[in-house]
Amino acid sequence: MSSPLAVLEAKKQQAKKNLEEIGYFSDVKIYVGMATCEIAAGSNHVMEVFQNAVKEDKSLKGVYLSQKGCAGRCNLEPTVEIYQKGKDPVKYVKVTAENAKIIIEKHIKKGEVIKEWVGK
Amino acid sequence: MEKQMFTDRFASVFGTESFFKKQKRIALKNCGLIDPENINDYIYADGYKALGTVLTKMTPKDVVETVKASGLRGRGGAGFPTGRKWELTAQQESDEKFVVCNADEGDPGAFMDRSVVEGDPHTVIEGMAIGGYAIGSSKGVVYIRAEYPLAIKRLIKAIDDARKENFLGKNILGSNFSFDIEIRYGAGAFVCGEETALIRSIEGLRGMPKSRPPFPAAKGLFGKPTLVNNVETWANISSIIVNGVDWFSSIGIDKSKGTKVFALAGKIVNTGLAEVPMGMTLREIIYDVGGGIPNGKKFKAVQTGGPSGGCLTDKMLDTKIDYESLMQAGSIMGSGGMIVIDEDSCMVNIAKFFLQFTQDESCGKCIPCREGTKRMLEILTRITDGEGKPGDIEKLEELGNVIKKASLCGLGQSAPNPVLSTIKNFREEYEEHVYQKKCRAVVCEKLITYTINDKCIGCSACRRACPVVAIKGAPKEAHSIQQELCIKCGKCFRSCKFHAIDKTSEAKEQK
Ligand SMILES: Cc1cc2nc3c(=O)[nH]c(=O)nc-3n(C[C@H](O)[C@H](O)[C@H](O)COP(=O)(O)O)c2cc1C
Repeated sequence: MSSPLAVLEAKKQQAKKNLEEIGYFSDVKIYVGMATCEIAAGSNHVMEVFQNAVKEDKSLKGVYLSQKGCAGRCNLEPTVEIYQKGKDPVKYVKVTAENAKIIIEKHIKKGEVIKEWVGK
Repeated sequence: MEKQMFTDRFASVFGTESFFKKQKRIALKNCGLIDPENINDYIYADGYKALGTVLTKMTPKDVVETVKASGLRGRGGAGFPTGRKWELTAQQESDEKFVVCNADEGDPGAFMDRSVVEGDPHTVIEGMAIGGYAIGSSKGVVYIRAEYPLAIKRLIKAIDDARKENFLGKNILGSNFSFDIEIRYGAGAFVCGEETALIRSIEGLRGMPKSRPPFPAAKGLFGKPTLVNNVETWANISSIIVNGVDWFSSIGIDKSKGTKVFALAGKIVNTGLAEVPMGMTLREIIYDVGGGIPNGKKFKAVQTGGPSGGCLTDKMLDTKIDYESLMQAGSIMGSGGMIVIDEDSCMVNIAKFFLQFTQDESCGKCIPCREGTKRMLEILTRITDGEGKPGDIEKLEELGNVIKKASLCGLGQSAPNPVLSTIKNFREEYEEHVYQKKCRAVVCEKLITYTINDKCIGCSACRRACPVVAIKGAPKEAHSIQQELCIKCGKCFRSCKFHAIDKTSEAKEQK
């Protein structure tokens, strides 16, 4: 009989596969804060913009979009993180639906970080 | 990367921001990093490794010893050594035992537990399963307030997913250990966060505390030995198992190991959730993490420990954040509320605000709390209304001390704290209210005087705004307020566009 840790290791491999399937290991990842506090600040609208973009915009094919819990920055929510392979994650704060569209165009498509919107 | 301590991932993403630099994430290690509704994300971040380790390599006794040696103490308020509680519950002989997670989080302004459950629900489940294994229980209950719908939704999904993956249920991961979790909803009564009241509430009875002993460890839910811990306490367990006792006890100081999550609120630049190592000073958390006081205002006090904590002054800013130091300074750690107060706030009014809350939430079972807090609130109301009498401050102190000593549960035992600590640290403000009918922060309505100064151009805006026709003056001529008619509603003050109305509270001649 295999030990619980061995069973877990198998589950971890499976989890990795499952994540692979949904594009978790993509070169570009977007995380949108979706805790109660973030949603109250309007993050669901931001999420919608990213969701539509990832679904409809062909140039965003393979981009991984995920929700996340709250990191604790109440006064700066909604927050969005953009992970790009080989680069430091960029953390945008007070993101609006409008800003989200600009982030997609400038940052995700052209790689231009919009410094004024990054949290310090 | 595999080798990297799994609590360090947070710093690698967020470490560059000054808000996070001095933080140390253990309970919140995954919050903001993973998708809380995807169990794969958690497993891939080494989730359930602690549970696997415990079931493979450790006896229940080993687990208890590990938690004991780590020095972890309860994060729900009282700071009782967690390992000791586990040991006491493990030692009980019984056919059935329960594990309870207290997610009632009743402190106004507190949201650390909500954040953990919403951001990383599996951490709580994993901690509870480990607790069940350690004390010999196969049944867990999460008591969570119904006002947290998103947290509840994610917790339900997490429990379902954990069952499917056999992290809950029969013969977990092929071991002999079986454990499952149910959810019970709290209806938003503050007292139901108190463990004995919480247990009665789960049993379907009215949520009222019982005297202890017997402690829940001996006789808890349905009379069976029950291990009650707070969400944040549970969220620490997996890290302790995976990273080890030495790692955990290297964080923090003397008798307070690890970290504490604080909800920073009030007059502070970075309002938010911060998890900091124990032993950090109040100054560091308020200025370095919190970014200080906004709008160039002066710091006046910090209230720690929620509605039953104390207010500390600028002289105490170098107090270390740990259970003993805060207690010594006259406050408590509590569940982690931290409200920063600036010069614009009246300390008497603040004390009244907190007492109003605890008075409202007093369950009424014991007389000191039910009657005592009511009388204290009456006196405080009278003082802030400008009707304070000589002897009132002393009466508040006397009442407060009796309520603390004679109440049945922690609610009454701590309810007078905000009043007693503000009297201790800001007595002159109380005296001004009582003897001079003056509120230096110009907050207490009845003690305010509105007067019109020479910037008045006679626009009549204030005259029209006044609901009691207390303002006189012809158009284009200076107006004046008839003090004996004024009801101090402040409408004139807000209507004036020329800064021509002064709002003051000066010492008044005593009749
Ligand atoms: C009035 C009152 C309210 C409380 N509310 C809570 C609460 O909301 N959450 C919590 O975890 N503990 C609360 N407690 C503390 C619990 O009684 C208990 O000590 C705690 O859940 C034990 O867990 P811990 O050892 O992990 O802190 C409250 C206590 C009192 C007296």
